[in-house]
Formats: sequence, structure tokens, C-alpha cells
Amino acid sequence: MTALLANVLDKAPLGVAVRIARIDWTAMSEDEGRRLREFGLLEGCEVTPRHRGSIFSRDPLALTIGRMQVIIRARQAAAIEVEAIVGRGGAA
Amino acid sequence: MTAAIPSIALVGNPNAGKSSLFNALTGARQKIANYPGVTVERKAGHTSFADGRPISLIDLPGTYSLTPASLDEAVTRDVILGRQEGEKRPDALIVVLDAANLDNHLCFALELLALGLPTVVALNMLDLAERDGLTLDPERLSRELGVPVVPTVAVRKRGLTELLEAIDGAIRSHQPREAVAAPQNDASLHQRARALATAAIVTETPVRRWTQRVDRIVLHPIGGLIILLALMFVMFQAVYAWARPPADALEGLVGSMQQWVVATLPENFARDLIVEGLLAGVGAVVVFLPQILILFLFILLLEASGYMTRAAFLMDGLMAKVGLSGRGFIPLLSSFACAVPGIMATRAIPDEKDRLTTILIAPLMTCSARLPVYALIIAAFIPDRTVGGVGVGLQGLVLFGLYLSGIVGALAVAFVLRQTIARGNAAGFMMEMPRYQMPQWRDIALGLWQRAWIFLRRAGTIIALTTVVLWLLLSFPRAPDGQSQVEYSVAGRIASGLEVVVEPIGFNHDIALALIPAMAAREVAVSAMATANAIDADGDEEAMAETLGERLQGKWSLATALAFLAWFVFAPQCISTIAITRRETNGWKWPLFMVGYLFLLAYAAAGITYWTAVAFGLG
Repeated sequence: MTALLANVLDKAPLGVAVRIARIDWTAMSEDEGRRLREFGLLEGCEVTPRHRGSIFSRDPLALTIGRMQVIIRARQAAAIEVEAIVGRGGAA
Repeated sequence: MTAAIPSIALVGNPNAGKSSLFNALTGARQKIANYPGVTVERKAGHTSFADGRPISLIDLPGTYSLTPASLDEAVTRDVILGRQEGEKRPDALIVVLDAANLDNHLCFALELLALGLPTVVALNMLDLAERDGLTLDPERLSRELGVPVVPTVAVRKRGLTELLEAIDGAIRSHQPREAVAAPQNDASLHQRARALATAAIVTETPVRRWTQRVDRIVLHPIGGLIILLALMFVMFQAVYAWARPPADALEGLVGSMQQWVVATLPENFARDLIVEGLLAGVGAVVVFLPQILILFLFILLLEASGYMTRAAFLMDGLMAKVGLSGRGFIPLLSSFACAVPGIMATRAIPDEKDRLTTILIAPLMTCSARLPVYALIIAAFIPDRTVGGVGVGLQGLVLFGLYLSGIVGALAVAFVLRQTIARGNAAGFMMEMPRYQMPQWRDIALGLWQRAWIFLRRAGTIIALTTVVLWLLLSFPRAPDGQSQVEYSVAGRIASGLEVVVEPIGFNHDIALALIPAMAAREVAVSAMATANAIDADGDEEAMAETLGERLQGKWSLATALAFLAWFVFAPQCISTIAITRRETNGWKWPLFMVGYLFLLAYAAAGITYWTAVAFGLG
């Protein structure tokens, strides 16, 4: 099944690895976009959303990318389209 | 030929263990200053090659690329490119990589290698990578990158000799060449980095990382917050409980120094100046050293262990509601010790408006200099009894209320500022979450020593000076017989003028007198009242025997005391804070604004407290 979730990282369930399909760079400032790339958040790479804010808010979002764990805001996660990883489910 | 002493810069990503490596290489032989024109800390130190030739090392702020996102990252770029004013371009680079995070850290390494400076790569924290199930091939990586790669474990001092040897060799054998075009930090750079990392990794066994298990508890939406609150509670308890014995010892030491001076010097102007002015004033401040060190001990431990970023994660949601970000949590927490290091810590906040707002509210965190003021007034006016039948002390409750007022006030002010003058985009919050690590005692001890030194230098300069000036103003002109020296002195006359302004909010002449020197530092309010009372009591043995608290009890109403406490929650009475704000914001506009709004708030808070208390019959 090659389901494109037509979904964004902000809505992806925690603990499940997904692949970044497309990033809407126009939805964020240049600096934010560059920092995302410096974190290695690029089209085609796999990330796993891990933790989400506190009782105060859904913000921020912590995710695993490679051997790194990074924190971004929900607003940025909403600009990142993700798709399911085919052939292998579960956490990375 | 390079200069006599080669200068070598340590550069790398955040969390690459750069500072630990720097500490291991230089030991205590380091000097912390600021780069001219900016307030980014410049950490420099010395070490030497095996044959004794000296080298100077600088530790540059961690960054992800040569395109900066914040002030300290800009310094890294400017130093490396030789553009930083007052800093010569380094002769060689040590690029520090986290061995367990090669595919990310190699991106910046590739960018740095393109510069063409003599370069050695330190493959740092190799032990942690092995713990994570990685086996690496440094020689392979060295062949691929074309520069020496030295495995290091900074905390165990492993690989340091080899690293220095390699850098010596790199400088000697260096063929100057033009820098090639810097690679763009994009997909192709990441691909190259990933390919290099894959080549360097011999085996990779997937191990269940305990970091993730710990994070599930520590970052739990509710449980995590409870843990954070509990940690903060323990921290503030410790600040009061543990600091008492060493603080008492310091107080005793100052007392015996005063006695020694009295016994040694003949009675004259100089002796009074030293005993009543210098020793009393500086001593009153130095006794807070233990509290500041304990608070910093906690902050350094939380930072070194990797927890601080988790705390920032948990607080981000709340702080976002008032237009700040989790990044601001660390500076604000530091501000509970002292707003000066807190404001300096804001330079890691990338967003300009976010940073400005954090600077402007930092003085509202109850710093340790307010403690002596609070402690004196609470002990004198709030009854020492428990409330609610569960053993909660009323005095402690009042103190907690004062802390809380500061925090609530800060959040409210931040909210208003972000809607008005510091309006801007919703602050971003992008941070790497470091792995948990055992803090290294050497790094912690070094950090504490540096904080202690900064604090003592402040006590020895600004505070010593103002105390002496105050003593002079209180002692001259000499009052004729039958008149109060305090009232007759220059300071007393100034206070009488100020009294007109502060009388409506319940302040008396004592307070007016204390407020002026307390502009230098809040704790001076206590020593000023003590000095004034001592001069006032002059010779009257009964009056001399009373403690300051007892004397105030006799002279002040409860409403006045409460108004005085409310005043100090907000009043910006600290020259160091104003000075650091001026330096951090590059001008007088924002420090003046800060002083203005804080005085307004202080006046209003004290007034409302006083009028309410009087209405309840406490006047």
C-alpha cells in the first residue's frame, strides 16, 4: 500500500515513523527553513514524532530524526507533509 | 611562518561536547571575557604541545552552519572568517563532532573544511557512541575527509595528546590554498554527510535507547510538569537550607575582620570608613555567595545533564501563550540567582523581539539580592506561625507569594509587550534535544568558580564604591549637637525630598533614605538602614542592643512593611542589571524603558498594597 496520507507532521500519531513528502518552505521564515534543513529535516527523510507539549498546549513537538532528537513548533510541523513508510510499520 | 603562538579555534555543532573538550585541554587556564561590541562570551585558554611550545585555544559558540541564526552564532562565523573585531583569524581549526551523530554534524564539518584552514577533526564522545551500539572507523573517515580524525573522550581526557599532535602536524604541513565555494546546506550536502557517516560506521546495532524511556516519563504532559515543579521546589529549598551554615560563617568572618580593624587602627576617619562603610557594605553582599553558588550548581547540573532542554520543552507551551518561547525559560531561571547572567543568557534566543521581551522581564524574577530585604521585613513583621493546620509556615507563604507575584507580573508584562512595542511574529522554538549525560565534576566546578569570581568582582567594585559614597553622604556635614546626624547629612536631606514623592504609598523617611543607595543594588537597602540606624543610635546603648528588625517594628506600621515588600517585587534597583541591559540592547532606549516601567509598577504595587492594608485597619 503506497498510501499518501495527504497528512501533515502536525497531525501524525506519536511513535510512528513517517517519511517527509513535501515541505512548504513558504509557510515559514527563511531562518526557520534553514534551521529545519540544518536539523536534517528534508524531503525524503524519515522522522518519528515523539512528544507533544504539556497540559498547557500542544506545542512544541519533539521528534527523532536519525540519531538526533529535535524540537519544533506545531506551526512548522503543519507545513511538513508526510507519508506512511511502506513495508515496515511501527517505531523507528 | 605563523605567529609565535598559534591560535586554534574549537568549533562544532551544539551538543558536540565542545566545551568539555575545551575544559579538558585548558584546565583552569581559561579567561572569559566578551567580544568587543557584542556580549557573546569569549572563552579563551592556553595549553601547550608535547615539546612545551604554547598554543592559545578559543572555544566558539556551537552552531549548525556558517549562516548564523543568533548573536552567538554570528560570532562563530566572524571569528572563523577573520571578520571579528579584535580577534585574529585562527591559525587552525579543531572541528568537534559528536561520534554518535555523524550524519548531522558532518554537514557543518564539510562546510568548515571547504575554508581551507589547517583542520583536525575530533571524533568526540566516542564512548557514548559505543554505548549506543555504534562502532566507527576513524581512519576511514580521515581518508574520506582528507584531514586527520582523532577519537576523543573529553571527559576522560582520552585522545588529547594525539589531538594536539595532529593539529601541530596539520599546521606544519599546511599548504595554503584558496577556499572552495562553501557547500550549500541543502539536500546534496546532507547526502554527502550521510554517505560519509555510513562509510565511517563499521557496525550499528539497534539498541533500545534508555534516553527514550526516560523521556517518556520526563516529557509526560502532566507527569513531566510535576517532576519539573518538584525539582524547582527542591532547588529553592536547597538555596535557603544549604546556604545557611556557610553564610553564617562568612558573616562571622566579616565580623571578626571588623573587630580586628577596630582593634588595630587608631580611631579616625579611615577606620570608620573601613568598618562602617567598606566592610559592612561589601560584607552584607558577600554573604549571599553561598546562595548564588547553590543556585548555579543546580542550573549547571540541569544543563550538563541535558535536562534543561526538557524543561524548556515543557514550559514552551505556557510561555508561547504570552508570546515567548521555551528558550526563554533558561535565562529566566538563571535570573532567580541574578538577572545579570540571566540577561546574558538571552543571546541564545534567535528571535530579536522574543529576546528583547525576555531581557525586559528578567528583572522581575526574584533574584537573590532581594532575599536580604524580604528576610528582614518578613522576620520583623510577619508572625512566625503556621496556617491551614498542615505545617505551612506563614512567613514561608509570604515569601512564596512574593516570588509568585514576580512571575505572574513578568508573564503579564511579557504579554502586553508582545502585543505592543515588541510585537512580532510568534516566536519560534527550534532546538536540538541533547542526550542525557552524567555531568562532569570538572566542568561544573569550573563553571561555579567562574560565577563566584564574577560575583566577587562585582561586590569588590560597584558595591564597595556605592557603600563608601553612601557612608560619606551620611556622615557629612557633621550635625551640631542635639540634631540627628542622619537627618542633617546630605543623604538625609535628599531623602527628605524623596519622601514627598513616596509618602502617598506609605513610605517613611527610613525607606526614602534606603531607596537611594539601593539603586546600586537592592541588598544595599538593608545595609543602608543598618548604617543609618547605627549612626542614629550613636552611643545610645539601649538602641544599639536592638536588632534592626526590632527597631523597624517600633517605627513602621504593618501596612508600610507590606508596601515596602511589594515595592521590591518590581523596583529595578540594580545598576548592574541596567548596565547589562544597555550593553545587550546596544543603547539607552531599552534600559531606560525598563527602569521606567518597573518603577511605575513598583509604585502602583506598593500603593495598592498600602491603601488596601490601611483599609483593613493595618495602618
